[in-house]
Amino acid sequence: MLRFLLRRLFHGVFVVWGVVTAVFFLVRLTGDPAVFLVDQSATRAEIEHARHLLGLDRSLPEQYGAFLLAAPRGDFGESIRSKQPAMRLVLQHLWPATVELAVVAALLSTVLAVPLGVLSATHKDGMADHVSRLGSLLLQSMPGFWLGLLLILLFAVELRGLLPAYGSGTWRHLILPAVALAAAPLAQNARLVRAGMLDVLQQDFVRTARAKGVPERTVLYRHAFKNAAIPFITVTGLSLGFMLSGAIIIETVFAWPGLGRLIVQAVPGRDFPVIQAGVFVFALIFVALNLLVDLLYAVVDPRVRLS
Amino acid sequence: MRSVRGMVSWWLAALVVTLGAAPIAAQTVDGLAVDADAELVVAVPDDTTNMDPRIGMGSTRSAYIRQVFESLVDVDAQGKPVPGLALSWKPVGDLTWEFTLRRGVTFHNGEAFNADTLLFNLDRMFRRNLDRWGVKDVTAATSFEKVYPTVSRWEKTGDYTVRIHTSEPLPNLWDAIGREPLVPREYTVKNGVDALNERPVGTGPWKMTEWKRNDSMRFERNESYWGSPPLFKRLRFQVIPEAGGRLAALRAGQVGLVDSVPPLDAGVLGRESGIKVVSSPQKLYCRIYLNARPKDKFDSGGKDGLFGDQRVRLALNLAVNKEAIVQKIFHGYAQANASPVASVAYGYAAQEPYAFDVKRARALLAEAGWKEAGSDGVLKKDGETLTLQLLFPAKHYGQGFDETTPAVAEMLKAVGVQVVIKTIDYGTLLQTVTKGTLPYNGGFAACRTSNNLDADDYLRDWTAITLINWAPYPPELAELYRATRREVDPQKRLKLLADLQRRVRDWSPVVSLYQEVKIYAVSARVLRFVPLTDLHMDFRGVALRK
Amino acid sequence: MRRGAGAAVASLVILGLVGAAAIFAPLLSPADPIKNDLLERLTPPMWSAGGSAAHPLGTDTLGRDVLSRLLYGARVSLVVGFVTVIAAGAAGVALGVLGGFYGGWLDDVLMRTGDVQLAFPVLLLGVAMLSVLGPGLGNLVLVLALSGWITYARIVRGETLSLRQREFVEAARALGALDGRLIWRHVLPNVWAPIAVVATFSVARTIIAEASLSFLGLGVPAPTPSWGAMLDEGRNYITTGWWLALFPGTAILVVVLVINLIGDWLRDVLDPRVERGM
Repeated sequence: MLRFLLRRLFHGVFVVWGVVTAVFFLVRLTGDPAVFLVDQSATRAEIEHARHLLGLDRSLPEQYGAFLLAAPRGDFGESIRSKQPAMRLVLQHLWPATVELAVVAALLSTVLAVPLGVLSATHKDGMADHVSRLGSLLLQSMPGFWLGLLLILLFAVELRGLLPAYGSGTWRHLILPAVALAAAPLAQNARLVRAGMLDVLQQDFVRTARAKGVPERTVLYRHAFKNAAIPFITVTGLSLGFMLSGAIIIETVFAWPGLGRLIVQAVPGRDFPVIQAGVFVFALIFVALNLLVDLLYAVVDPRVRLS
Repeated sequence: MRSVRGMVSWWLAALVVTLGAAPIAAQTVDGLAVDADAELVVAVPDDTTNMDPRIGMGSTRSAYIRQVFESLVDVDAQGKPVPGLALSWKPVGDLTWEFTLRRGVTFHNGEAFNADTLLFNLDRMFRRNLDRWGVKDVTAATSFEKVYPTVSRWEKTGDYTVRIHTSEPLPNLWDAIGREPLVPREYTVKNGVDALNERPVGTGPWKMTEWKRNDSMRFERNESYWGSPPLFKRLRFQVIPEAGGRLAALRAGQVGLVDSVPPLDAGVLGRESGIKVVSSPQKLYCRIYLNARPKDKFDSGGKDGLFGDQRVRLALNLAVNKEAIVQKIFHGYAQANASPVASVAYGYAAQEPYAFDVKRARALLAEAGWKEAGSDGVLKKDGETLTLQLLFPAKHYGQGFDETTPAVAEMLKAVGVQVVIKTIDYGTLLQTVTKGTLPYNGGFAACRTSNNLDADDYLRDWTAITLINWAPYPPELAELYRATRREVDPQKRLKLLADLQRRVRDWSPVVSLYQEVKIYAVSARVLRFVPLTDLHMDFRGVALRK
Repeated sequence: MRRGAGAAVASLVILGLVGAAAIFAPLLSPADPIKNDLLERLTPPMWSAGGSAAHPLGTDTLGRDVLSRLLYGARVSLVVGFVTVIAAGAAGVALGVLGGFYGGWLDDVLMRTGDVQLAFPVLLLGVAMLSVLGPGLGNLVLVLALSGWITYARIVRGETLSLRQREFVEAARALGALDGRLIWRHVLPNVWAPIAVVATFSVARTIIAEASLSFLGLGVPAPTPSWGAMLDEGRNYITTGWWLALFPGTAILVVVLVINLIGDWLRDVLDPRVERGM
């Protein structure tokens, strides 16, 4: 077990390092942020001075070396745009904004999926099933930002501000962005639950339980669902990671002050330190979640440990 | 009332109650009762990057910084300079300016504002003695030492007077120095420049109490402000990037004032009860810059810029239907301006507008040697096709700019210019013009604003080779510009400035598109809000109804 | 006929119609999609007050005809969707087979790169790379393909690995049979089914990804019409110019929906184990 853990941990560290290095070089290819720092009547000498202050006139390997030394201490440099420590800026945007959004959306997309999926499975080919499947298909076929725009149109504009459309502050601000973010994964999860339940419901032990006269509700939740739960847990853990990804666009649409939006704003401004720190945090969270899910799987299913 | 004492107590109590109630009842503005403890929420399109004035000035951020920090020269609603932290300023001879500072002003932390403060700020602005003060160098928005290299030294001649010396006459020094917000000396030296961003301390009417990045900034009334303190207690800038969101918030009563209303919505809003729409011309001036540099002055292709001929540039100006832009895209909320100087700047002189005259444009092009080669309307000269590779930084200057540029490209095509629009991001544009790698037949669309009040800021554009100068002044205009820089007598200088503007209008270095008019929407609860021509919102004198 | 085949047939028909509309766009469009005309700005669809038959679905902020842009935009969406998947699929299958068959360091490098790429938020990869490469249809396809190849590689690698270990393969190789022929006759027939299913859903996802990138301003550059870019232009005019966002949004929804239905049916027919519930 320990060996398994260590192996996965090492693998995770490697992945994070890989991501960060890739971003480091990629971002330096996009060009020179020094031009943003000076005003319109700047001469070349000024811009050179700005580059020097940013440390960009050193060679790439030198810069990379300095970066590797500073990063483990949490020092990702200062944001070029606002002169504040990049990691601090990233963490300020991650918590509570993005975490709130991702967690609430993940919960919505998993918790609601269960009753929907079970309902669909038990009323297979009935009205509820068709409606649920059509709805799922529709939600999965819509770009997230399109759904977001429709929600804004409906709730904030047509219904005259029933729910706030932009910014954050109260729990009411969280509703629309979380719904927009959770919609497609919810649809997907509901179908997963449905499929899993259908599979399990046909198996022998279920028929035995029914034959024994166990009430239907117990059959469903105690026996069938427990077995369908394992792949379900996996999906939940992974979906949290994907929520972070999807948050990038949702945060832009709803002007949610989170990490996704910070990074999207930092890219055209070539704010290397912020981009690097932000991607690092994203990758770290993603890898950590994967690790947790793997761990959970290993605990539940011994076969995995041995592979 | 058994005793005299009892009666006196009763009357005293009544008196106290009445007197106590009086100030509350007496708070009225324009005959309406106002709430002195209210909070005004303002919806703004973006957050500031940094509260340190040296770093953060520009675009919306001036409004954040100027609530907390103040400058020597203040500005009124028409854009005219008025005393701020300086009571007066005057030239002493040709090479010196004297500033007399306001007395009795303190920073939010109690530190006194005096001549020593100004000396420290000048050191920071011109990057001198930074080691002596122990403050670190920052990459600033404006580098004073480069833009005003003739400023030589400064000294205090009293606790509240400072003299600044220049090596050559500099008639607009009051403007250059006067608009920079000032920071406290002891506080900055003790806590470092980062403290100016984290816990800004200024002399302004508002103290910053909280800053949630990219979300909101809260301010509280400065009770010991040198002028009359604001008429309401708390102010909050709420960041709502989408215009639709800002307006939705206004209609729902969540905010009292919206900064930057799109022109199309302004008309609709104006008809709603409970909302007022006010506007003011701004200094943001949008143009198409054409490559007219001689080949020894830029790095692309070893050819002269294609638009070096003044007739060609003038033709392009005549080909653009500026009224259509103002009416159709901005619904009247923009200005067509033929002077290179913004209409609200000090020293602006109105010029004869560029007529929309396609025939004359074509004639000018023909005169300059561009003849129609075939039947497809393409213009050629010496085998060269009249092409404009237009760099277009979309999504940087706002909706109006994004709609205007393609429309203008179409208008230029109508006179025979082959316009190829290259949509790029703003950073790439900056890099291209900085490195000088604009193609010889290239141009770019961009807007230019000013933190200063004087016209000099605009006319300076075509002097030194900088990233914005693609049509350097010919010798006569350069000489005239230098003359405006040397003339200390205000009236004579205004005449010289007017002359220079007229000649620059004819020389036509850029295709002017429009000058911005900023639109605000105010809830009926908010009284006496007057928009400024500056990138700033002044809440002194504004009150909120009960 | 299997249940669900009706929906699949209808979907194929609709997709065919969209494809035809894209191909015949020049014939079907009432106007030039990129010519702008300031005076015709923001006219509503013809059934609304102020609309005209010259512009059946109205005009946008620059006076360009919405219907024409919608038809030409179909080209972008379909080309990006299919070309990306073909490119990613080809590359993924090739790399997956090589990795699975030959193993060793090639396989390791492949899997490690794949892991690293998966930890990268996809949209962020797109944003970063497009900033480097600059906008353009080719670059867009490249970026989207780069983020998609792993899935195919993984599936194929899995199948190849399990196949390679079968005895008859060992025997055949010992006898001198060409690797290429073995791959062609034994590996590929087993993988094309799950690949086809994954590929179909990928087309849908790619179309959405393209729309998202265009929404952020990174897709095909103006003035080429693309549904995502049209949505982005329309978002500031949701109340006053509702037709600007509604039509491209609905178009994306319909196309992605039918592709998903086709994918569902394919999965049911070919291999019920793969991509369950997706």
